Amino acid sequence: MAEIKWERDFEMAIAKAKKEGKPVFHDFWFDG
Amino acid sequence: MNAGPYSDEKVQKFIEEEYVPLKSQCFWKERTELMKQFDIAWTPTFLFQDFGGRVHRKLVGYIPVDDFLAQLKFGKGMVFFEKERHEEAAKRFRMVIEEHPNAGAAPEAIFFLGVAEYKKTHEASALRRAYDTLTEKYPQSEWARRAQPYSAIPK
Repeated sequence: MAEIKWERDFEMAIAKAKKEGKPVFHDFWFDG
Repeated sequence: MNAGPYSDEKVQKFIEEEYVPLKSQCFWKERTELMKQFDIAWTPTFLFQDFGGRVHRKLVGYIPVDDFLAQLKFGKGMVFFEKERHEEAAKRFRMVIEEHPNAGAAPEAIFFLGVAEYKKTHEASALRRAYDTLTEKYPQSEWARRAQPYSAIPK
């Protein structure tokens, strides 16, 4: 099982995307 | 609320392999800076962003598993398409068409496959093929109507 390892910080995600050459899949969610 | 598709192994695998996954929590009483930056007005909202942070697709609302997988593939295709990387875009659009023919993104993928192939080869017949495929397989879709100008292109 490939559990999703979510980033929680936008800038970190962008830096990782640059490093890995991947786009970012960004989920805005609400706990309500 | 939006945990459904993420429990699917194919979704998990595709996101892990093809994207950097990012979650941002929303607060309606005091909107976060990211909510303001990306005009988030409802949840879930999904953004497909390149590594410069630019948004290439925005989806709002719950999406069932097959549609979600199709959108993941299509979204990556749109990132490539808008960066003029037509071969890589076309590959993702074909994945949607072949693997998710009943998904909502399938007609849009046919349309953009035609455009990506045209931009890569400069052969207008690619646009005509998109029109023919759309009118044959998805005649009621908006994308069939949007491809109508290509009906005048010779086969």
